[in-house]
Parts: sequence; C-alpha cells; structure tokens
Amino acid sequence: MMDLAASLLSPEFFAAILRVSTPIILVAMGVLISERAGVVNIGAEGMMLSGAFCGVVFSAYTGSATVGLVAAIVAGMVGGLFMSFAVHVLRANLFLSGIALNLAASAGTILALFALTGEKGISGTLDSEVLPSVHIPWIQDLPVLGTILSGHHILTYVAFLSVPAVAIFMMRTPTGLRMRAVGENPEAAKATGLSVIRLQLQAFLLCGVFAGAGGAFLSMGYVSWFSQNMTAGRGFIALAAEVMGAGGAYGTLAASLLLGSVDVLAIALAGEGLPSELLQAAPYVVTVLALALYGLRQAKQKTIGTVH
Amino acid sequence: MQMTGDETAPQKALVEFREIGKTYPNGTVALRNVSFQVIEGDILAVCGENGAGKSTLMKILAGIEQPTQGTIHYEGRQRRIADPNVAGDMGIGMVHQHFSLIRSLSVAENLALGQEPRRGLLIDRRAAADRVRELAQKFSLDVDPNTKVGSLSVAAQQKVEILKALSRNTRLLILDEPSAVLTPQETQELFVQLRSLRARGVTIIFISHKLHEVRALANRITVIRSGEVVEDGVLSEMSDAAISKLVMGVDVTRASRNQRDLSAATPVVVVKKATVATGDADRRIDAIDLTIRAGEILGIAGVDGSGQEGVVDLLCGNVQPDEGDIALLGKPMALATTLDWRRAGMAHLPGDRFQIGGAPHMSLVDNVMAGSHRDKQFTRGPFLRVGAMVARTNELIKTFNVRCLGPREPLNSLSGGNAQKLVAAREFSSNPKFLIVNQPTRGIDVAAAAMIHGELLRLSQNGTAILLVTSDLDELLQLSDRVAVMFDGRIAVVLENDGLTPERLGPFMLGLEKTS
Repeated sequence: MMDLAASLLSPEFFAAILRVSTPIILVAMGVLISERAGVVNIGAEGMMLSGAFCGVVFSAYTGSATVGLVAAIVAGMVGGLFMSFAVHVLRANLFLSGIALNLAASAGTILALFALTGEKGISGTLDSEVLPSVHIPWIQDLPVLGTILSGHHILTYVAFLSVPAVAIFMMRTPTGLRMRAVGENPEAAKATGLSVIRLQLQAFLLCGVFAGAGGAFLSMGYVSWFSQNMTAGRGFIALAAEVMGAGGAYGTLAASLLLGSVDVLAIALAGEGLPSELLQAAPYVVTVLALALYGLRQAKQKTIGTVH
Repeated sequence: MQMTGDETAPQKALVEFREIGKTYPNGTVALRNVSFQVIEGDILAVCGENGAGKSTLMKILAGIEQPTQGTIHYEGRQRRIADPNVAGDMGIGMVHQHFSLIRSLSVAENLALGQEPRRGLLIDRRAAADRVRELAQKFSLDVDPNTKVGSLSVAAQQKVEILKALSRNTRLLILDEPSAVLTPQETQELFVQLRSLRARGVTIIFISHKLHEVRALANRITVIRSGEVVEDGVLSEMSDAAISKLVMGVDVTRASRNQRDLSAATPVVVVKKATVATGDADRRIDAIDLTIRAGEILGIAGVDGSGQEGVVDLLCGNVQPDEGDIALLGKPMALATTLDWRRAGMAHLPGDRFQIGGAPHMSLVDNVMAGSHRDKQFTRGPFLRVGAMVARTNELIKTFNVRCLGPREPLNSLSGGNAQKLVAAREFSSNPKFLIVNQPTRGIDVAAAAMIHGELLRLSQNGTAILLVTSDLDELLQLSDRVAVMFDGRIAVVLENDGLTPERLGPFMLGLEKTS
C-alpha cells in the first residue's frame, strides 16, 4: 500500500494525467465550439476515430508525420462537413446524424484497414510515423516539474494552449460572438442578419479540426498504430467534459483533467490486484456521477436564476 | 427652416409598395396586390386582425421574407431587400413582437452583433459600449451597455430592441405590436419616445390592433384585411366606428357587462393562504387569498409571470399547494387532482389552444371528445360510439359558429379564432360551476373574441363562477366584476370594477403600490 501512495504522488503520475487528458481536452474544445453554436456534435467520437485512422495511413504512405497530422485534421473536417450536410441540407436529426457518423466511422475504418493491410484488428503492418515530443529547455532540468511538464508529445502542449485560444475565440472575437448568438437563439440571430447555417457549418468544421487532432494523438502519439475502435468512448467522455464545464473553456479543461485523472488512477490501482474490468469502468462511472451532480446544480441554479 | 406640421410638410414617399403579393409554398395567400405609400416623417399605423397579413408585409420590408409578386421602391428607387442586412444598410430597422435579442449577451454585444467593431482579431468592447452610450444619449433611451439582456425588465429589453433597430443610421423604424408586453405607464413612456424619434426625422410604422393607441400616436392609417389594403388615409378624417368596421369587415357589437352586486352570492371557490413554493419561479404563489362567487367574473391582472399561471395551475389541479386550503362549493380540494376538479364541476380554457387546450393534429371530433370519452352516451361496452361523437361535434360547431371544412379535419387546419371557439365550445358546454379562462382571446380575430366574450357573460349570468386571466387590460376591464392584481406571486390588491381604468392598475402591476 505504501508503494501505491508513493506512485500516486510521483511526478510520473502527474505526467500521465497530462498525457491521458490530452485527447479528451482536444475533442472537448471542439465539442464546446459546436455546442455553443447550437449543434452539439455527437459525432465527435467518429471524427476522432477517422482522424486516428487517416493519421496512421497517410503518415505510413508518405513517411511524414506532418502529412499524417494534416490528414487526420482533414478527416475530422470531412466528418464536420458530413454533419452539416446531413443537418442543414437534408434536415436530418442532429443526434441521429451524429450516431450515424459514429457507426460509419467505426465500421468504415475497419473496412479500410482490411482493404489496405488484410488485417481487421490492428495496423501493425503499416510503418507509420509518430509526432515528436518536446523537451522544454530550462524546465526539463528542474527536479519534479521537469518530469511533469517537459518531454510531452507536441499535441499535449497544443491541447493546453488551445484552451485559452478557444476561450478568447468564443468570448472575444466576432465569429465567436455570432456562434454563441446563433446557438442561443437562431431566430433572433437570423433577424439580425446572421447566417445560421454558415456559422454552424464553421462550428462543425472547427470541431472536426480538434477531433481529428485528438484522434491523431491516439494513433501517432505514444503508439504508432491504429487499432479498431481505439477511441474507446473518448469522444463521448469529451462531450461529458464539455457539459460538466458548463460550456466554458476553462471549466471544460478542469473536467477533462478530472476524467483523465480517474483513468490514470484506475491504471495505477490495477497494479494492486483490483479487478481490471471494474477499474476500466471507473472513468465512465465518474462521468455519470459528475453529470448527475451537474444536473442537480443546474436545476437549483435555474430556480435561483429566474427569481426577479 | 424646420417643418413641424403634417399638412405643411412636403408629401414625399419614403417607401412605396407596388402590387406586393405573398403566397407561401403551401398555397396560403398572405398578401394580395398591396399598394400604398409610406410618407417620410409620418407615424403610420398598420391595422388589421391577426392573420390579416400586417406582420408579413413588415417582414418583407425588413428583408426577413421575400414577396412572391410586386416591387418595393425606397426613396424613389426600386430595391430588392434580400436579407435583414440589406434593410439595415438602407436605414430600415424593425422591432419585433418577440424580441430578437440574445438573453445571455450584454446590451453592447447585442447591438454590435453582425457589425462588431474590431481591434485586430478581437471585438473592440470599449468601442461597442461607447456606441451604445452614444446612441442611448442621442435618442434619450437610457440603458447600461454592460448589463446582460436577460436580467433586464421587459420594458428595458424593448428599449434595447429599439436602440438596436436605430443603430444603423435608421430612417424608418418598424414596430410590431410594441405595447403588447407593456403596462399602461410603460406604453405612455414608449409613445413619448416614439414621438421624439419622429421629431428627429425618423419615419415610423407601427402595427397595432388597439384603436386608442393608434389615435394617440399615428397620423396616418393603413388597414389590411385578408391580405389586401382596404383603407389608406389620414387618421383624423376617420371615425373609430369606421376604422373598426374596416378592420373586421363587419360591425361587431361589444358584449358589455351589467354592474351587479354579488356580495351576497354563494362563494364557489375559496382559497385561503395558498402557497406554492416549488416549480418554475414565475408560477410560484405566496399566501394567496381568493374568493370567487357564483355568477362572478374575477379578473386577474399582472405583468406576465407575476404568478397568474400559478393560480391557474392551483385551481385546475395541476399543482397542489404546499400550504393553505382550497374549497370548491365547500368541498376541500387542496389534494385534488385535475380529474377531481373536473368531476366537481371545473372547466378550463387554457392559454395555449394548440399545446394544452387541444391536440393540433387530431380531428375536431377527437378534440371535442377529450375528457368526455368515457361518458355513457359515447360508449358501447369497450367501444366508442363514433356516430354519437360526430353528432356532438357537429352540434358544437353549429352553436359556436366554428368555420371549418368538417368534423374530421385536424384542429390545426382551423384559424386561431375558430380553433379557440372549438375548444371553448367543449369547455363551456359542460355547464361548469367554476370556469377558468386563461388569455381567452389572445391572437384571435375580433369577431371570434366578441363571441367568446358574449358566452362568458352568458355563463356568468347563469351562475358560473369565472376566473379570467388575461394580459389584455381592455378585455379584463370589460368583463370582470372584480379585479385582483398580482405582483411577484402575491395578490397586491383586489378592486371592485366600478369604472376602473388601466392607469389605476398600473402601479399595482409594477409593485409600486400594494394594500396588504
């Protein structure tokens, strides 16, 4: 038990939290943009999976990690385009379109993997590239902080830097303001002369950028392969993080880190002989609990907020 | 030299509608061959019943809808107003009946939306706030740029909406029923502001169906009936009777109430210190005392959301009070459900005929049968007697003069007024001892409203106790024997209606006065 306590307080444990939270933060930022624009993107999981797959395939065939990352982002944006087409042009239901995208991505990536490699489970035969890690001068030499903060994958730093960027984008730029207006009251926004569809399309595309990058982190980060359904519900956890963060970028970051910590804790505890199935369920259980607490708080706030 | 009088000013047309027509894709004709001019510097009242096409015409002018025929000329040039931005650039601003504001954004953000001042990539928030202050000062409309719109009162939100419409060098301001959400005092203030805008050279078009407001504000009037212009002229040359005949196409006699002394009549509903402290904040009520006597119409006034809906919920069995007692004809009802209330003789004409009052996609027969489908006369064993149901529906259609294609048509194929008449027919025909009517004539034409008013007075003469909740003060004062004014979930005052005026009610509605 002493070992466990020591490992929970070790710098490596905190570094692991940053690593595990990275894809959740990235996708949650994308979900945040889509949600505030009034088109909460259930398809984030599918966009992420497509990104993970395209990153591996394109980096393997071109030999360039950068091309892989760009391909992953484009794959996410194509997902955004699909969502916008389904919702705005075909007038399909937003949630059903998202579910359709998730199912299509899950099956489509397996099909494409089989067509390319003859394998259905894992892209082991593809020689794909990995995005670089960054060692920060000065900080990497510090005793504890060096281990926690330095040496991470480049997308981890991107994820953390994207949080203030998204906050400023949503709250301080004209496009962010317009997206929030469209998300809250599309009729009023329309009467003001805004194009609801154009703004929501932009939101879907931005969400695709983040989801694609989140997917690339999974398959081009600490591993260099794609395996079927490797996103394992992280797109949905990102959706939960955004709801827990109440639509704010910093709150969403905090929620993502909480959910990431639970994941890391579960891995650490697995070494202590607790049943691993139980531990693997932990992040999902925490998500449900957090959402329930959030719902209670909302109900309370609603009644407080509306008193004149 | 400044021109002041209407007669001396040159009659220059700012807008000219030429043979405007609008047919919706489903074949509904909203406007037909509409031609008239809006004279620069005028306050023009556009009058007509609900559904006459007034709002559609104004939306066309504001670029929100496109005409299917005809042209609009602005300052002598033919213009196509493709969207609200084009209208804004032309100097046309519209204040919508349902505000087009985003509640979570500040006043400054709402006004800047779509034309944000920038500094680099970001919004220049200081410039946006300064712009609001400048506009507010210019038009003497006092608002704080940094307040969130959702936290403002309705009257203040309307000021913001007007400022927004004026924010782009506006020369023509359109207002769609601006007084519908205001108290009489707030309406007076609005009119003062509109007159001062006119003095600054802003041409104003306002939609209304309240004749006294039209008289107070406008100098010209255009009357639209069934999508066509039936009158267009100088207001001072027309009598009230002539206008009201033009609006409706027929003479309508208003039902009027006789002054009665009901203090000795049997109390039908007695509410003592009833409190509902849970649920939506604007439906909560606090220590309500009410008595409604047989044959009495008790009107409830108040700014929307002051607890009127809570009283309705309480007296139709939707909610049970947390504290206090209710009795219907001496029977305790504090724990009663809606079914108990109905069995005890309650009937209820709800505020929304297509949400609560009726099932829009179901037939008139089904709607008439709702609630009485278990009655012996309509059942045979486990089956419904469809013939008897249809006969009953036809009977009600006839007595209430519901204009429809037949009893099997869905409810939403009827106009608002006819749908309301059908739902009212169902509720009124049960000979209720106690009747709740909530916004009985909102959004329906004057002829249907007059019919419903007549029925309410007839029921009250037959001894029904009636609770009337309405935000239309004219209707309230026309029908009520007594008026209870609500503010913040409480009853501020109960007044005998012996020549009450809207102005007398205003201070109580705003919470400025109360008698406890």
